[in-house]
Amino acid sequence: MRRLPFSALVALLPLVAAPSALAQSSATGGLAVVVNARCGVAVLTRNEVVNIFFGRYRLFFNGREAQPADLEDSHPMRSQFYRRLVGKDISEINAYWSRQIFSGRMRALPKVATPEEMTQWIVANPCGIGFVEQAKVDARFNIVFELAP
Amino acid sequence: MAYLSFPRFSAYLHRLVVRLGLVLAVAGAALSLPARGEPGDFTIGGFGTVGMARTNTNDVEFVRDLSQPRGARKRWTGNVDSILGLQANWRINSEFAAVVQGVSRYRYDRSYTPEIAWAYLKVDPSPTLSMRFGRLGTEFFMLADSRLVGYSYLPVRPPGDYFWSLPFSSINGADAALTVPLADNTLRGKIYYGIADGKIPLEDEQWNIGGSPMMGAYLEYQAGPWLLRGSYANIRFNSNLPILQNFYSLVPHYLTADQARTSLDYLRVDGTRSHYYSLGLVYDNGPWQFQLMLNSIDQGSRAFADSYAGYALAGYRIGSVTPYLGYSWVRSRNYSPSSLPGVTQVQADSFSRQGTTIVGARWDVARNVALKAQWDAIRGDSASIFPFRRERPGWDGRVDVFSLTMDFVF
Repeated sequence: MRRLPFSALVALLPLVAAPSALAQSSATGGLAVVVNARCGVAVLTRNEVVNIFFGRYRLFFNGREAQPADLEDSHPMRSQFYRRLVGKDISEINAYWSRQIFSGRMRALPKVATPEEMTQWIVANPCGIGFVEQAKVDARFNIVFELAP
Repeated sequence: MAYLSFPRFSAYLHRLVVRLGLVLAVAGAALSLPARGEPGDFTIGGFGTVGMARTNTNDVEFVRDLSQPRGARKRWTGNVDSILGLQANWRINSEFAAVVQGVSRYRYDRSYTPEIAWAYLKVDPSPTLSMRFGRLGTEFFMLADSRLVGYSYLPVRPPGDYFWSLPFSSINGADAALTVPLADNTLRGKIYYGIADGKIPLEDEQWNIGGSPMMGAYLEYQAGPWLLRGSYANIRFNSNLPILQNFYSLVPHYLTADQARTSLDYLRVDGTRSHYYSLGLVYDNGPWQFQLMLNSIDQGSRAFADSYAGYALAGYRIGSVTPYLGYSWVRSRNYSPSSLPGVTQVQADSFSRQGTTIVGARWDVARNVALKAQWDAIRGDSASIFPFRRERPGWDGRVDVFSLTMDFVF
């Protein structure tokens, strides 16, 4: 009987020892939710942003479909984003998605590895939506929601 | 009394651990393959729980749900909560997807034989409409379709008082869900229909509820951190309880075949329809999580009592630890008393009148891994024997359950 906890932990070692947060500088300034400027969306409410990033509803008011991207788990900006958006820890976000995925309601959002890939995603999709450091926003994007530090 | 001897119990655990280890190794290898959300992609994921549970009495056995023929007593057992699930998703294009989920857990025949829990084709003709065809989990009550995914919720297991009377986990059928925006909130409705699939272990036999048609619907309103859901479902049973063999032993005095037939007819389940109503309210904001669920079950058969059940659960996250506190209860009501021989004895098997205080903590110890410890203090009527297993006469209706689990997803 004593064997269970020990061998179970050994079996799980690869999971527990998964790479921790990459040594990347995190955004100290504001984060912004941005949409590809060609999509024609100028502003969203916090609820609308939550609906899109939690997979609840993904149509903009103009009838076009939002194409959100999320960051890989290990990126520190991901936890900043969800903490500022809904005050939730990454583990709670992952618990939410495990319920959605394993009850077959929906798939996880497509994930990108870096903020650079995030901006590429938004530019490459006509209604791409994602979160970036506010200081790095240019004319290709519309800031639709701001998340103060 | 052929309960699990220690060597056999130990063998169960060992086999479970070996299986978990093997599957995790395979999954680990699969994880290192690139998996991105591009059309035409194929992904594999999974979830699991390594759990240990014990109680403070040998007078009854505590089970997680009706599918478990044996439960926990004073000795630690891994059977109550341990589970492994693997899911393969194939995204065919932006409209079509196929999903298969296999689950291995302690089940009605006392084995860990893997079962296909889900196998369906999903069609999303528009971003607001989603339809699924095939083998589906049922959402008789809120969160009922993710009962096995321990990582997805706060406590060790969904409160038993609320979910025990729900033996159905899969249907072969179809469902459709539609989401409508109301300002920046959402209203979501879902309907489903299918044929039940599953077996419920009774004292010595299994009751096969396969082939019973069930249908249901719910409406759900999400406003920021608030989620409110009302739901209705029903099932029309197409088989009787397999109690014919045992029936004569229930009744001490001589019984003619005619009398037995009259009693069994009174307790008929075949052809009866049971109705399930529920209301759920969830608040999930910042460090707070709160759930309130209520249900009412109207049984068609006189063999079962109608019931009310509910639970309230609150948790507050401090760093990576979330302590939680809850209370659940269940009350049988509306018996159909009869002086026919044997009827009272059969009805007594589905009687419950008890409340459970739940105290525990979840610790998110690493990415996608959570450790939980929980104490359930069940306080009930001594006649409240549903759904415990093998209760001994003289049991006082009280049992404390201690649980430790490690939940993970990958």
